[in-house]
Amino acid sequence: MAENPGLTRRTVIGAGAAALASVAVSDLLNVSSLLAGTGPTNGVGYFARFGVTEQLIRSTLSSALSKGGDYADVFFQHRVSNNLSLEDGIVNRATANVALGVGVRVLKGDQTGYGFTEDITPDGLKRAALTAAAIAQGPSREGPARFKVMEAKPNRYPVKVRWEDIRPQQKLSVLNGLNEKTFKADPRVKKVNLGFTDQGSVMLVADSTGRIVEDAQPMTTMYLSVVAEQEGRRENNSINRAARADIGYYTADRLDRMVSEVVNKTMVLFDAVQPPAGEMPVVMAAGAAGILLHEAIGHGMEADFNRKNVSIYSDKIGKPVAKPFVSIVDEGTQEGARGALNVDDEGNAVGRTMLVEGGTLTSYLHDSISAKHYGVKPTGNGRRQGYEHVPMPRMRSTYMLPGPHKPDEIVASVKKGIFCELFSNGQVNIGAGDFTFYVKNGYLIEDGKLTKPIKDVNIIGNGPKVLELIDMVGDDLKIDEGGWTCGKDGQMVPVSQGLPTVRVSSITVGGRAEKKG
Amino acid sequence: MTTMGKTNEQDMLAIAQSAITVAKSAGAKDASARAYRVRDVSLDYRDGKVEKISESTTRGLNVQLYVDGRFSSVSTSDLRPEALKTFITDSIAVSRAIAPDPFRALPDAELYKGQSSANLQLEDPKYFGVTADEGRKAAKAAHDAARGVKGSDAILSVTSSFSSNLVENWMVTSNGFSGANRGTSFFVSAQVSAKDGDGRRPEEFDYAGSRFWGSVPDISSIGASAAQRTLRRLGAKKGQTEAMTVIVDNRAAGRLLGMLGVALQASSLQQKRSFLEGKLGQQVVSPLISITDDPLVPTAFGSRKFDNEGIAAKPRAVFADGVLKSYYVDTYYGRKLKMEPTSGSISNLSWKLGAKSQKELLAGAKDALLITSFIGGNSNSGTGDFSVGVVGFRVRNGEIAEPLSEMNLSGNHLEFWKKLAALGNDPFPYSAMRSPTLVFENVSVAGT
Repeated sequence: MAENPGLTRRTVIGAGAAALASVAVSDLLNVSSLLAGTGPTNGVGYFARFGVTEQLIRSTLSSALSKGGDYADVFFQHRVSNNLSLEDGIVNRATANVALGVGVRVLKGDQTGYGFTEDITPDGLKRAALTAAAIAQGPSREGPARFKVMEAKPNRYPVKVRWEDIRPQQKLSVLNGLNEKTFKADPRVKKVNLGFTDQGSVMLVADSTGRIVEDAQPMTTMYLSVVAEQEGRRENNSINRAARADIGYYTADRLDRMVSEVVNKTMVLFDAVQPPAGEMPVVMAAGAAGILLHEAIGHGMEADFNRKNVSIYSDKIGKPVAKPFVSIVDEGTQEGARGALNVDDEGNAVGRTMLVEGGTLTSYLHDSISAKHYGVKPTGNGRRQGYEHVPMPRMRSTYMLPGPHKPDEIVASVKKGIFCELFSNGQVNIGAGDFTFYVKNGYLIEDGKLTKPIKDVNIIGNGPKVLELIDMVGDDLKIDEGGWTCGKDGQMVPVSQGLPTVRVSSITVGGRAEKKG
Repeated sequence: MTTMGKTNEQDMLAIAQSAITVAKSAGAKDASARAYRVRDVSLDYRDGKVEKISESTTRGLNVQLYVDGRFSSVSTSDLRPEALKTFITDSIAVSRAIAPDPFRALPDAELYKGQSSANLQLEDPKYFGVTADEGRKAAKAAHDAARGVKGSDAILSVTSSFSSNLVENWMVTSNGFSGANRGTSFFVSAQVSAKDGDGRRPEEFDYAGSRFWGSVPDISSIGASAAQRTLRRLGAKKGQTEAMTVIVDNRAAGRLLGMLGVALQASSLQQKRSFLEGKLGQQVVSPLISITDDPLVPTAFGSRKFDNEGIAAKPRAVFADGVLKSYYVDTYYGRKLKMEPTSGSISNLSWKLGAKSQKELLAGAKDALLITSFIGGNSNSGTGDFSVGVVGFRVRNGEIAEPLSEMNLSGNHLEFWKKLAALGNDPFPYSAMRSPTLVFENVSVAGT
C-alpha cells in the first residue's frame, strides 16, 4: 500500500498505521489491491486501495456512453457496519456487514439505465456500464478527458476517533452501563434490549462532466427498549438516538436522558388510555413530531413525483399553502445530524432548501434529473441507499422554523383534543395526499390542560388540508435526535426531522370508536 | 443483456464450505455459512416510454460463528479468498470480546433430517429466455391497457413495470447440513394516477406474478384493473366514525395477519413482548380460523425444503378452529424457552377457506366498509393494541358505493380476531400470507 500514491495524496478516511494495525472489521478489506499499478489515481483517494484509478473510471464512463447516453456516473461504495446487541443482561450477539460495490448509471433524457457489481475489476465495471448503456440506442459519446475534484467540500461530521480505532471493550462498557442504569431506574423494568451500530460508509462519485468527489459518512445509532410489569400487566416502549458522530456522542448525560425518557414513557403507559376516535384538534410536541412534515409535505415535494405529475403538490409552486407564519425547510447542513451530508450521492453540493416560505410553496427537492427537467439547480437531494440503487430526490433534515406562539399558550388554547409526544412511524400516499403517523405516547387535552396519558394510536390526515389547518406555531423548534429512516421505492436512507410545538385545528384520530345511535 | 459473472454454482458452494473450514481452523467451535447469488432485472415503463432499466447480479456470504460459547453473525460481499479468510479470522477475534451465551448452538442435527422429496416447482427452466425486451413488451401491454379503459381521460400518469429474479442459496453447517435451493419469480405491475376534482391525484396499482413466466396472468388485465381501481377512487371522502361491518380485501388482509405473526415469534414470547404468551391450546381467534404454516405448497412464494437454520420444513398447524396450536420457534429462543424448535419464520400460510367469493360476501352486506389497503399505523405485539389507516369503499345493499379515505381502524387483536364472521374462498396468490377476503363484524372505524 505504501507505494500507492493515491493514499498519501488525498485521503478521506486516512489509512494511518493505527488503522492498519486495528483488528476491527472495517479494515479487513485493506488487502493488497488486485489492480495496483493500472494507472494514475489523481482524484481517487480512499478507493485507490481497491485498485480504482481515474483511468478505470474514465474507461467505465466511456463504456457507459458507448450507446449514446447523455450523461453517465459511477458510484463506488465501501460500507462497513458493526452491531452489538444486549439481551437478558449480556452483550451476546455481534454482527458485522461489509459491502463493496459500484453502480453505473446512464441517463438519456429522463430515462435511466442502471447496472451494478461487486466485482471491482475492469471486466466487472465494463459489464455494469454496458448494461446501463443500453437505455440509449445511438452513436457513442465521449467521456471526460480529465476530472476535477470538488473544491471546498464542507466537513459536517468531524470525527475525533474513527470507529475502527475503538476496541470492542469500549463499546461493551457503554452498553453494559446503559443496561444497568435502565434496570436501576425502576423496579418494574423486566426486560432491556439494546442495539448499537456504528457504520462507516465511504463513497466516490464521478460523472461524465468530469466531476469527482469522495465522502466518508459515519453513522452511529443506539436503540434502547424496555418491557415493564405492574400488577400482572405489561407495557413496552423504546427510544433511539442517532448521529454522524464518533463514540464521544455517547456522553453520560445523553445516555442518562435516554434512560429516564424511555423508563418514564413506558411507566406512563400503565395509566394510558386509547383516545376517543374522530376529528379533533391535535397539538404536536416540539421535536420528533417533525414526522408530520416528513409525511404531510416532504415526500410530496420530492421533485420526481412532481415531474411525473403525480404529487398533490404538482401545481402548487408559488401558491399559498399555509398561514404566513409557517416556513418549512429541508437541509443537510446541521453538523453531526443523522440527515447531514457534505455532498449528495450524485456529487451535488448540499445546502438548505425552503419548501415553504411565509406560507407559500417555494421549491421542490431535486436530483439531477428533475433539476434538468425544471431548469433549476439541483438542491443536493439526490440520495440512494447504496451502490445497488439509483439516486432519487430524498429528504435530509426536514423541519419547520419557529413561529410566534408560546408552547403553553398552544396547549391552553385547546378545549378537547390530544397532545402527541412520541412517534414510531408514518406513511403517505403521494397523489391523494393522505398521510398517517403513529403515536406511541401523548396526552388528552381537556380544557387547556394535559390530563390522561394516551398510547398506540394512528392519526390520519391529508397533506395540503393539514398544512392549511396549522394555526399555531411555537417558538421552541427542536430537531429530534432519533434514528429516523425513510423508505421510498424500496430504498432506505437516514433522515432527521424537527418541529416547534404546533397546533393542527382538526385531524382524524384513530381511537376506539363509540357506536353511534 | 448481462452475463452471470464469473462465479459458477460449484464456486459458491465451495465458498460456503471454505468459510466453515476457515472458521473451524481459526478457532470457532461451530459455524454455519450461506452463500447467495441474486440476479435481478427490472424495467419501468412510463407514459409511452421506458423510464428505467436495471440489471444486476449480486452475491455474498453470511457466516454464523460459535466461538467459546459466544456468537456472532457476519456478512460480506467481498468473496476474494484472501479477503474472506481475514474477514472470518478477525470476526472470530471480535466474537471473543462479547459475553458467552449458553443458549447459542447450531440446531440439533436430527432436525436436518426428513426433508421432503416433493418437487416444489420453484424455478422456471426458461428463466434466462425471458429478456429485458420481453419485459418491456409486457410493461408496455400493461401500460396500454391502463390507458385504454373507459374514463381514461382523467388519467394523469401510468407507470408499469416488469421485474424478474433468480435467487440461489448454498448453505453448509459444521454439524453436517448441506443444502441448496434456487427459485425464480416474475412480476408485472401497473400504477395509475388520476386527477380528482379537488386537486387530489389518487393512485392505485395492481400486480400479478408467478414463479413461471408462462403462468403470469393476463398482463393487459393487470393494467386495466390498476386504472379501474384508480378511477373508482375519484371523489373519495372521509366517512363517519362508527362501529360497523368491515370487509378486508384479500390483497390487503396479509398486513393484519402479519401483525399476529410478530406475537407468534418465540423471541417475542421470551422477551415478554407477546400478547399470545401462555395461550397455547386456548381459543384466541374466531373458531372460523384454521391456518397451517405450509412450506411445501408447489410454486408458492414462501415454499422451501429447509428453513434458514437448515431445519427440514414440515407443514404445521398454527390455529385450528380458533385455538392456538403452535408458535414460530427457532433454535436459540427454543433453548431459552425450553421449547422444541418448529421454525423461526413464516413460509406460506394455508387457510381453511370459506365458501363464498368476495363478490358474494359483498352481496350479503347491507352496510359495510370494504378495506382495499392500509396506510401506516402500527401494532403493539406486547399488548395487542393496534391502529392503522384504511383506504376503501362504503358498501350499501350489497354493492360497492362511494370511495372512503382518511379513516382509521383500531382495536386489540385479542378482541378483533374474535369478530371474524366469514372468510372468502379467494386466497391472495401473490404473497406468502395467502389470505382470503375477511369479514369482521362490529369493528371501530374512525373518520369525521
